[in-house]
Order: sequence, then structure tokens, then C-alpha cells
Amino acid sequence: MPEAVLKISHLTKRFDDQTVLDDLSLEVREGETVVIVGPSGCGKSTLLRCVNALEDIQGGEIRIRGEEIRHDGKNLPEMRRKVGMVFQNYELFPHLTVIENILLAPVKAQKRRREEVRAEAMELLERVGLKEKADSLPRQLSGGQKQRVAIVRALCVHPDILLFDEVTAALDPEMVREVLDVIIGLAERGKTMLIVTHEMSFARAVADRIILLSDCRILEESSPEEFFTAPKTEQAKKFLQSFEFRRSR
Amino acid sequence: MPDLGLEVLWKGRNFIRLLEGLWTALRISLVSALISILAGILLGVLAGRKRSVFRFILRGWLAVIHIMPQMVLLFLMYFGTSRAFGWNLSGEASAIIVFSLWGTAEMGDLVRGAVGSVPVIQRESAEALGLKPPQVYLMIILPQAVRRLIPQAINLVTRMIKTTSLVTLIGVVEILKVAQQIIEANRRASPNAAFGVYLTVFVMYYLACRPLTLMSKQLEKHWR
Amino acid sequence: MKNIRRFFAAALVLALFVSVSVSISGSASADAVYRTLDEILADGTVNIGVFSDKYPFGFVDENGEYQGYDVYFARRIGEDLGVKVNFVSTEAANRVEYLETGKVDIILANFTVTPERAEKVDFALPYMNVALGVVSPDSRVITDLKQLGPEDRVIVISGTTAEDYLIKNNPEITLQKYDTYANAKNALENGNAAAWANDNTEVIAFALENEGYTVGIPSLGSQDTIAPAVSKGNETLLNWLNDEIRALAGEQFFHKDYEETLVAVYGLEYEDSLVLEGGGLTE
Repeated sequence: MPEAVLKISHLTKRFDDQTVLDDLSLEVREGETVVIVGPSGCGKSTLLRCVNALEDIQGGEIRIRGEEIRHDGKNLPEMRRKVGMVFQNYELFPHLTVIENILLAPVKAQKRRREEVRAEAMELLERVGLKEKADSLPRQLSGGQKQRVAIVRALCVHPDILLFDEVTAALDPEMVREVLDVIIGLAERGKTMLIVTHEMSFARAVADRIILLSDCRILEESSPEEFFTAPKTEQAKKFLQSFEFRRSR
Repeated sequence: MPDLGLEVLWKGRNFIRLLEGLWTALRISLVSALISILAGILLGVLAGRKRSVFRFILRGWLAVIHIMPQMVLLFLMYFGTSRAFGWNLSGEASAIIVFSLWGTAEMGDLVRGAVGSVPVIQRESAEALGLKPPQVYLMIILPQAVRRLIPQAINLVTRMIKTTSLVTLIGVVEILKVAQQIIEANRRASPNAAFGVYLTVFVMYYLACRPLTLMSKQLEKHWR
Repeated sequence: MKNIRRFFAAALVLALFVSVSVSISGSASADAVYRTLDEILADGTVNIGVFSDKYPFGFVDENGEYQGYDVYFARRIGEDLGVKVNFVSTEAANRVEYLETGKVDIILANFTVTPERAEKVDFALPYMNVALGVVSPDSRVITDLKQLGPEDRVIVISGTTAEDYLIKNNPEITLQKYDTYANAKNALENGNAAAWANDNTEVIAFALENEGYTVGIPSLGSQDTIAPAVSKGNETLLNWLNDEIRALAGEQFFHKDYEETLVAVYGLEYEDSLVLEGGGLTE
């Protein structure tokens, strides 16, 4: 069995008095794509933010390849480089061009050679169909293009695991596909990923494992086939039904 | 064409004197502006941090600067420091100190506001890439903040240039004072000189401030 | 923790501000602010505060040189002291301040002797006579202050004798104050006020030069004198100035000064009434 890239044990997260995640444990193994689904406000995004130490935690621990992520740790920037994050609203840096956005962290934080990273970045941009946009500013791109750039930016840091936080939620419908195709391509190449999404058919296609998060806990954890055809829990059934439409005749 | 008394400008060194006066005004305001921008960025950054002592220092400083008329501050700095501490500051040095105190406070507040207006998630996005906190600040937050505050900063500098007309009260002869000297010295020979001289001063101020506003517009367009 | 810091910050700012303003407002420094005669001679430069925009007493000509009745005297002082003169441009409102802080050694800026000022500075012997005058437009010449209605405003320059006199003797009059001569002049010309009260030399000159204005009140209040002033207590310099003024009477210096600088404006008819030789004591 491949080693766990991400190991979350007994994670508890509270905002003031409100518990958002309660004693949650989860593992993502090398090359695995895990998709988290669940009703809005159930803590999916918070979970991802905890993994990247953008939120502090009140209990439990998070380890990347065995090394604990501590919010107060001196090695926090290094640990974060092991975790790539793609945000719902892309969060490209508006004052930098596409290529500058991508090169910033590898060159400035990882001290890698500029030409080397640039070559890699151009290759990845070509793969996502944006090679000619390298010198554009973010504001000159469409939402779908920005999100593809954000994915390339995360990839170029060479993280051990990529986190996707509802990356198509802010996009116009016709742009959703171009972004999801890129992520599916990554899954095919064996990237380790933890994905939060509301796109059920995408989840089914990309996931090795589906996790249903609700009421601060993991309610169900199964293969996509099992989850979508024979959900084990009532909540999962109800959740899946919320995506179906019927007209009474 | 009405008699504007423009002939006084060509008497002796009068025109050169006006330019010298303009240079005095610009020298004071631009040196002060430079100090204000550097010190203001530092102060604004320090005051922008949560629970920072500097936030309260800045607030108090701003309150004092806003309550006190600049003329009073100039008097305090030029005459007051002589009385209280026996310092013998020159008029120009006093003016630069007062303008810098004023500019640093305003600039600090502008920087603090501009830094605060950069969305938190921009910082998080940079942190998530593994950039260290100083890098996040220098490469992500400040560049975006600077773009937001350029128009206000330019506005501050042009206000400074105009406010230099007060420094005549502490013995510094700047363009407006030279203008009055020229008008007074010629009040018999060219009673209408006030029109022409003030018009010339207006044009000189305009030409001095114009590059700044143009630069500001250009930068805004570039960064939009 | 947060509250403690906040408290300290507030206290610090307050303490700084209070200490600065207290030390400034209290005439704290006991040390002499002025330079004695010997110190000036040793330095080789005397700082003299003059007007730079008050033609024909103190102004700057087209070559950037200070000129005028006061300046003519100032140059002679420099000559007789054997030092260079550094002219400092002063305004009516800051003449006392300049002496109180020792930023100039002598004020020679049309400085009228008054008891209030004499408490703060030391006047030397006078070198000119002056009274107050009021100038107004020909369309409505004010010949008596009683003609002024409640709506009417009178222009004065801050820190002048005219301001003091009107505040003390005619508090019912609404004053409109300006910091510079040029601004006051502009205001009258723009019709912002009914009249302008100033030294009679000023208003006489103004009416002579500007069509449409008349000095309706040529002499208001008592006859005053104009004298050089030094910092309070600067006896060595004061005594030297008094000796100088007495000595200059021998050559009728101030008549010569008048003829060089004032005659073009006031004509010869005012010479004997305006000029004082030897402090007026020898006559």
C-alpha cells in the first residue's frame, strides 16, 4: 500500500464556540484523487484551509509525508510548499503577468533557477492551452483562463499534494469544462489531489474515493461507483437527490 | 489687450527671481515629499499590523496634524524650538521638518488604508505558495497597495507645493513672496503688475504640478 | 495586553505633545536668546529683520537687492559696525517673535513704538514720526470712524499699530485682518471692506498712487514714532544703536535717507514732519 501523502488525525476546528470540524481523520495516498462533497457550509473549504495552515486548529494533527504542519512552526513556508492550493476566485496577483505569477514562488521562495522554471512553466501553459498568454496580465484573461493559470502556478511549486477549493464555482458554465479537463488530466498523470467540488459528474469521473462531509464529520467514504449508485447512508441519498430534478406530470 | 503690467517681469532679474522662488517652493515640498513617502510607508506598514502600538501613535499624530493649522506648526518649529530648546533652525529646515511631519502622518494613513484594502485572500494565496511573510509583504501586498495610493500621494505632494506659500511667515522667500515683492516695488510704475505677476505665478505652479498629475494619470492607466 | 499597549501609546503621544507645548509656551529658557554687540562683531554678520514688500520702507528691487528707508539705515549700521548685513524678510505679525527668539539681532521694519511692544522688546531712539490714517474709496470717503455702520468692515494688517488701536478704542468696528500688505491692498481694491486703517505714511502713499482713493482720516490717535528694536535686555547693542542715532544727527543722515528713498513717494512737503534726527531729542 502506497504511503500516505496527507494524514489528518482527529482534527478539530472551531470558530469561537462553533465547531466546524470535529475529530476528523482522513488519509490521501500517493497518486490518489480524493473528492470531498457535502452540503454548503459543512466545513469542506475550512478543511482545505487547515491543511494549508491558513486556519489554526484546536485539536488533532495534520502531517504531510509524516511531517507535522504546525501553524506556529518556523518551517511553515516550507511545509506550505508541499501543499499546492487552487482557490475558488483564482487569486492571481493582479500586478504581475501570467508568467511572473507562476515564477514568483519557485524563484523567490524555492531559489530555483529562473530559466529552468520558466521552461517548465511554458510547457505547462502550453498543455493547458495558454502559452501565448504568458505575458498577459490577469485582468486580460477570462475566468476559465485565470483558473488554469492558477493551477499551473500551484503545479510549478512541485507540491506533494494539490488542493482544489470549488475551483469552478465562480466560473460561467461554458468555462467549467476547460478547467475540469485540466484537473482530470492531472489525475490521469497520477497527481495526488484533494478536491472540494459541487460538480457531481466531474467528481464521479475524477475521484478514486469520494468523501461526504456533513455536520462536522465524515459521514461516508466510498468509491465513486458505490457512492453514486448505492450510497450507504440516508444523508448521502438525500444529498445526491438534491442534484436531481423531476417534473411531476 | 488689458494692461497686465507684464513689463515688470522683464525688469532686471525679476523673472529669474520668480523662478528662484519657485525652485525654493519646489525644493522644500519635494524634499519633504520624499521624506514623507519613505517614512510614511514605514509608519503605515507598522501601523497596519494588528495590535500595533504604531497604530495609536499614527492616530494621535494625525489628530495633532489635523487640528493644528500648518501656520501654527511652522511657527512652533521655527520660533518655538528657539524658545524652548535654544535651537536655531533655519526657516527652510523648519519648513521641511513641518512638511515632513505633516506628510508622514498623511502618507502613513494612506499606506495603512491602502494595505488594508488589499484583500486578505491575496495574502493567503501568496502564503499558500510558500512565500515568507516579508516576501508576501514586499512582493504582493505593497505593490498592490502602492497602486491604490499613487493618486492620493500625488495629491498630497501638489497640496504641499501649494502650502509652501505659508513659509514666507518664517522668513523663507518663495515664489509668492517674490511675486508680492515685485508687485510692491513696482506699485507706482506698474500699478497693474499684480495681474500679470500672479498670472505668471499661476502658470508656473501649473507647469510645476502638471508633470506630477500627468505621471499619476499615466501610472493609473498603466496599472488599471 | 492590548489595552495596556493602547494605554501606553495614547499616554506617550499625549505626554510628548503636552511637554512640547508646555515648554514652548512657557518662556522656559533662562539663557539669553540674543547676541551681544561683541558676539555680533566677532561673528562678522548682523541679522537685521526688514520688510521685503513694503515700498518704500523695505522692499526688494528688480535685481533682488533690499532697498528703502529702513534698509538704507540698516546698511549704514552694517557699515559703522564693520560687519556684513544679513537681511531677513519679516512680516508685521512676526517681528516681535523674531526678537524674542533671537533669530534676528535688530528689527528695522517700520516698527512703531508702543507700550505693549516695549514690554517684549527694547526700542532704540526713534528715527521717524508716524500716525495712523484711514483710506477709503472716493465713492464713500470715511472722514470719521462714526460713519462706519455695523455692516462695514475695516481692513488692518495683523500685528500692526492700527489693529491694536482699533481693538482698544473702537471695539465695535468689525476688522478684516490680513497677514501681508499685498493681501490687504488686494482686499481694499476688490471692495471687500469700507476702509483700510494703517500707518498714515502707508495710506497717504496708497492714495497718491491709486486713483479713486482718499485719505479721509489723515491722523488718528496720537503721534507715534518708529524706532529700531532689539531683543529685551540686549543692552550692549541697544546702547550702540542709541549712540549711532545721536551721532548720525550731525550729518542729518535721516534727511539724506528720506531724500534717497521717500521723496519720490511723499514729496518734500512731508520731509520735516516725518523725519526724526538724533531720536528727536536734540531738536
